Amino acid sequence: MKTCLYLRCVTVVGLLWTALPMLSQALVPPDSTARLLSPTVVTAEVVSQHQVTNPLEAINGRVAGVTIQKSNNGAAAMNAVRVRGTTSVTGGNDPLIIVDGVFGDLNTLSSIYPSDIESFTVLKDASETAQYGSRGASGVIEVVTKKGAAHRATVTYNGSLGVSHVSKNLKMLNAAGYREAVRAQGGMLIDKGYNTDWQKAIQQTAFLQDHHVAFMGGGDRSGYRVSLGYMDHDGVILHDKLRNLTSNMNMHQRMFDDLLTIEVGMFGNVQKDMTAVYDVQKTFYSAQAWNPTFGTERNSTGGWDGFTYANQINHPLALMDSRTQDKTTHLSTHAKLTFDLTPNWKLSFFGAFSHNEVEIAQFLPTSIWSGGKGYRSSAKTESWLGNAILTWDKMLGLNHINVMGLAEVERNVHTGFYTTTTGFSNNAIGIDAIQAGSVTLWEGTGSYRNAPSLASFMSRVNYDYDNRYSLTVAARADGSSKFASGNKWGFFPSVSAAWNIGHEAFMSDVQWLDDLKWSIGYGLAGNQGAVDSYMAQNVLTPAGIPLVGEKLAVTLDALLNANPDLKWEVKRSFNTGVSAAFLGNRIIASLDFYTSKTTDMLYLYNVGVPPFSYNKLLDNLGSMRNSGVELALGLSPLTTRDMELNINANVAYQYNKLLSLSGYYNDFWLEAPGEVDLVNLNGAGFHGGNNHIVYQMVGQPLGVFYLPHCTGLKSDGRGGYVYQIADLDNSGDINIANGKDRQVCGQAMPKVLLGSNINFRFKQWDVTVQINGAFGHKIYNGTALTYMNMNSLPGYNVLADAPAQAINDQTATDYWLERGDYVDFDYLTLGWNVPLGKTLASTISRLRLALTIDELGTITGYSGLTPIINSSSVNGTLGVDDKNIYPVTRSYYLGVTVTF
Amino acid sequence: MKRFIIYSLTSLAAVLMLASCEKFLEDNPTDRLPEDEAYNTQNDLWNNALGSIYLNIGGNAPSQGLQGTARGVWDLNTFSTDEAMIPTRGADWYDGGIWQNLFLHRFGNVDFTGDTWNYLFKEVLACNRALERIDAYAHSHPGEDLNEMRAEASALRAMFLFYAMDLYGRVPLFMSSTPTVEEMKLQNRSVAFRHIVDELQAAEGYLPVVHSSQLGAYYGRMTRDVVDFLLAKVLLNAEVYADDDWTDDQRPDASAMKWTVDDEILNTWEAVERYCVIIGSCGYALADEFKDNFDISNEESPELIFTIPMDIYNCTNRFTQQFRSLHYNHAAALGLNGENGPCATIEAMKAFGYEKGVDADARLFWTYFYDQVFNDRTGATVTLDDGSPLIYYPLAVKLDLSNDPYEKTAGARMYKYEVDQAAMSDGQLRRNDIVLFRYADVLLMQCEAMLRDGRAGVAADALLNQVRARVMMPARTATLDNVLEERMLELAWEGWRRNDLIRFGLFTRPYTDRPQTDADRHGYTLVFPIPGETLTACGSAQNPGY
Repeated sequence: MKTCLYLRCVTVVGLLWTALPMLSQALVPPDSTARLLSPTVVTAEVVSQHQVTNPLEAINGRVAGVTIQKSNNGAAAMNAVRVRGTTSVTGGNDPLIIVDGVFGDLNTLSSIYPSDIESFTVLKDASETAQYGSRGASGVIEVVTKKGAAHRATVTYNGSLGVSHVSKNLKMLNAAGYREAVRAQGGMLIDKGYNTDWQKAIQQTAFLQDHHVAFMGGGDRSGYRVSLGYMDHDGVILHDKLRNLTSNMNMHQRMFDDLLTIEVGMFGNVQKDMTAVYDVQKTFYSAQAWNPTFGTERNSTGGWDGFTYANQINHPLALMDSRTQDKTTHLSTHAKLTFDLTPNWKLSFFGAFSHNEVEIAQFLPTSIWSGGKGYRSSAKTESWLGNAILTWDKMLGLNHINVMGLAEVERNVHTGFYTTTTGFSNNAIGIDAIQAGSVTLWEGTGSYRNAPSLASFMSRVNYDYDNRYSLTVAARADGSSKFASGNKWGFFPSVSAAWNIGHEAFMSDVQWLDDLKWSIGYGLAGNQGAVDSYMAQNVLTPAGIPLVGEKLAVTLDALLNANPDLKWEVKRSFNTGVSAAFLGNRIIASLDFYTSKTTDMLYLYNVGVPPFSYNKLLDNLGSMRNSGVELALGLSPLTTRDMELNINANVAYQYNKLLSLSGYYNDFWLEAPGEVDLVNLNGAGFHGGNNHIVYQMVGQPLGVFYLPHCTGLKSDGRGGYVYQIADLDNSGDINIANGKDRQVCGQAMPKVLLGSNINFRFKQWDVTVQINGAFGHKIYNGTALTYMNMNSLPGYNVLADAPAQAINDQTATDYWLERGDYVDFDYLTLGWNVPLGKTLASTISRLRLALTIDELGTITGYSGLTPIINSSSVNGTLGVDDKNIYPVTRSYYLGVTVTF
Repeated sequence: MKRFIIYSLTSLAAVLMLASCEKFLEDNPTDRLPEDEAYNTQNDLWNNALGSIYLNIGGNAPSQGLQGTARGVWDLNTFSTDEAMIPTRGADWYDGGIWQNLFLHRFGNVDFTGDTWNYLFKEVLACNRALERIDAYAHSHPGEDLNEMRAEASALRAMFLFYAMDLYGRVPLFMSSTPTVEEMKLQNRSVAFRHIVDELQAAEGYLPVVHSSQLGAYYGRMTRDVVDFLLAKVLLNAEVYADDDWTDDQRPDASAMKWTVDDEILNTWEAVERYCVIIGSCGYALADEFKDNFDISNEESPELIFTIPMDIYNCTNRFTQQFRSLHYNHAAALGLNGENGPCATIEAMKAFGYEKGVDADARLFWTYFYDQVFNDRTGATVTLDDGSPLIYYPLAVKLDLSNDPYEKTAGARMYKYEVDQAAMSDGQLRRNDIVLFRYADVLLMQCEAMLRDGRAGVAADALLNQVRARVMMPARTATLDNVLEERMLELAWEGWRRNDLIRFGLFTRPYTDRPQTDADRHGYTLVFPIPGETLTACGSAQNPGY
């Protein structure tokens, strides 16, 4: 079955070791002329081996150069995914997700039931992503869902039951230790007589269940597959709950003597996520630092006792009275008509529509939010996509020529509204009747609409000689509605070539070498992810009600500096790689090198007021370099009928450097300061001032630690200690402001990433272990800085180790900067393909039981809860552990798959 | 047949797509308004050009607004002085050292000096933009009278420039909303000073004589009375503002400077006096009671000249000063949410005569919370979490209270504004209008001008004692020292202390918890540093010392 008409750069080599035995079953066509360029594919076999419930987990650690950062966000884990690192400072770093040709985002991917996925294909090089233009600038993950197969009707049930529990918490002072420490300090001791471990008080053992049924079948000229999935996951924090109902349908049919192939698909899901964690840091800061002598019972008024000295945190169980419900409804449908007009000409039309709605309902009771807060919002996106592709494909002797032309339009209509109320007199009703709050503030209500569009034209010529040499040249033009007239269009060509050395005659004598390929490519890609609609236009938005004069009228104001000169950010990348197979394909290795330079880089500059009206301006001035080497190795040392061992490992080294953040805008010189802070500490006594930890600095990798140097602890003259800060600039006094006594002392993003997967099969039994690692980066342990400060008593509890160390200081220095290296045993799965007796085999074609343990453990020298924190996304948490880490959990699943 | 299908479908698709492409990529907003459609009637012109300037006299984000918010104009003018401080209280209020740095005049390490500049010049640019819109409108509507609107915008611009000049010394003077590098060059303070006076005087004649602080068509707006107050205030500081080198301990003589007021040539002090008299003749008077100026319905006070109107339901502005100051339990007892921060200094307590008990200044009670406090509705004692009564210890205050027995309770707290029990948003949204300019200040300015003009005597005494008599305080002889002290007693928490101390040459003197630094001796701390982004853009040098 040919699912693709234009050249799809897909082939099942490269890293597809575990799937090698399944090669013939892979739907991904291995017959492409450009197969020497080998993007990385992960197939259904891999997905199903590990009892995953989030599709991204299936590829975590499987593909060199792909970083998947678990966001630690409770039951509804949203992940950050980076393909070959971060290439844009301001946005558009998420890879493009394409599900059966329909463009989506990471949310879409997370909502698909893993059992519905046939394969993942990760496209990394510019020539590979050229087909998707600007949207694919940060890499592409193509997902193909399963389709109906000919003739045989089957029903497959896949389900699992599991439990999840917290395996590690911080060791804070217990009530006795707290009392002693407060008394020793002479502080005000509020002692309610209990001994409560607040971290445990807001935790629960979570139950997880998943069920999935798929029906498929078909005839010679048609096929169908329909599936239904249901997921019900509790989180380890009280009231955390995720439910997801999905349905996926795919059909295809050939007509008119195979002139026309029609493919239709529909995917829908409804996901409900409920949580009491409305503010991650507030929740865990409170649970860790709340006075342990308080009890877990409500007080006589039905509320929770407060502790006013702890004014940055709340009673942890009061926080658990809050509710935030997110409901996502997603529906997408697509249809594709393919005309096989002549043996050489093909024409296809593809259309897709998707509707996505996120409804948020929130209620924060009066005990944690002054006056209480009721909030409702709805955000809808309707996406339309259409394209037409014409291809001409011809073999002339050993010459294979393929020419493709594409025209495509896309529009995303975003609409939404929100409303907030406050002034609740009690907490009895709220989330479903926000009018129980007496006050609706002006700024609490609003609605919006924007509808950015993209248009693209592309042509590509592929030439292949004798399956030995191939050359691909592509030219693409992308137009975006977000830019002003004159800047709308960007032109992004790419070229790539490959040489299949293994197919050369002179190689036929080399017995130990099965295959050897070399490829090289260069290309441009545009990115506009950081640009919002109307940023290039002078437009006014409602700004508020000036309470002057007699009438109340809303005034309209610009609110930001419009920049009509905004244009495409351009990434120029070069890549080359070799791959080889040895000893009867028992060893497969590939080595890739890439380097890219992002120019006209979009960056939000701090600008002077005047000349600008506002102090931020988004402009295309900077540049950044990303380079890396990726090595993948697959070993199959043992392959017998009864026993099989496969070892796959990939190592990626990545290097990133910010080259420039300055230039002229009109006549004005714009320059980012030498140090721009990205991540600051939060909490009591950390508001503003010199609490910046991670910076962005020209000439350095994106996200470096720039901190005062602590030479040790010194006596504070009161029996305790403070951090002794070095006079790094030899000025004679200590000043920890930027540019003074501070130094760069490490980077937040790992230099080396490791993924490895070991799979062993003995007869019907198999074991799979996934081990991931990251090295060469550091983590700032802001949690320890906060909880080692004895000054924070009695308002905030401290770590059990704190009294012994007697530190009376919370100045941020490199004292709490630690190495972030880790090796993580991501999961272990034990599977049993149950041998079916003759009677059973007549009805059941396959029965598999699997036991999976998620998060077996982590080997690290890092002293905090876990080193697996945000080390890839450039946002306010990069590289800093600051009282906002979800407790470490371990999960056990028992799964069954049965096919009738 | 097949060939026909190929060609027709392809060309159809290509033609359709190409033809509609440019149109397809047009982005026409429906949830916002293109700028050129926002100023088509006088009403729209006023709403969108001037309305947004008024909207931003107050603010809801840090550094935005002349008063009411944190880390802005008011903080710079208050916590850098002997009037108030934000002491470090253990883990609370250390905040990377900014509050200590502000009190100790280490202004290079106070990050919001730049944000405050950005706010003030954002408003100056908005005024310029408003004037450009008014000109454009006038061009297309030749018959309409826009003089008042023009005067309103240029007087507002002069007001923001006054605050900027007062804080930063040198400022750019440009008339465009898109200034060139050349237009943005920083001007010497004396040039800015004369420019501001000229602009205010030019606008004055077009504005109505109306009490802006009272409900009505001019509520919260720039009127002639507000302009006259600004003129008096700016001219009173003539010796400071006309001085371009603030580090040399020398100032020009303001009595030698001449100003034309109402076609009369007057010296600076006479001019200040004249403007004060004009304001007095417009129906302003001291409110019967001191507290009337700060209560929930303070728009009824005859004393207020210019305020930031507040309201619970429609207002985007916030009033955070009191909310930040009160102890957690105290605020909670009043139905608010406190932050236990700012408090009065020892110097302020001495000025108010806190130690003298019943003989203290009558305004002590209305300005501060101190000693034991009570819930003003129920009369109940406010208690700490352990049940003991909350007692504020005004004299226990020091800059770093960490590990001190009075860590959380030292310092007298801000009262001044009546607590609005109906307040929303942690007590930051309330009905008391925020007082910017008031008539008691006019009387004290007039008194000071007479003294500086060498006219001490009964007339000057009468002005000072008019203010004192309202709060039943005994009469005093009007001397410059007495006037400065009276200004502390009358105007504490109103954001004038830094301006006053600089005028009296006392801003850099040492006092409790604040030794005189080298920087102070050098004199450069009399102004704040200018943000680097602006210096980069206009190619000017930083203020000396920074």
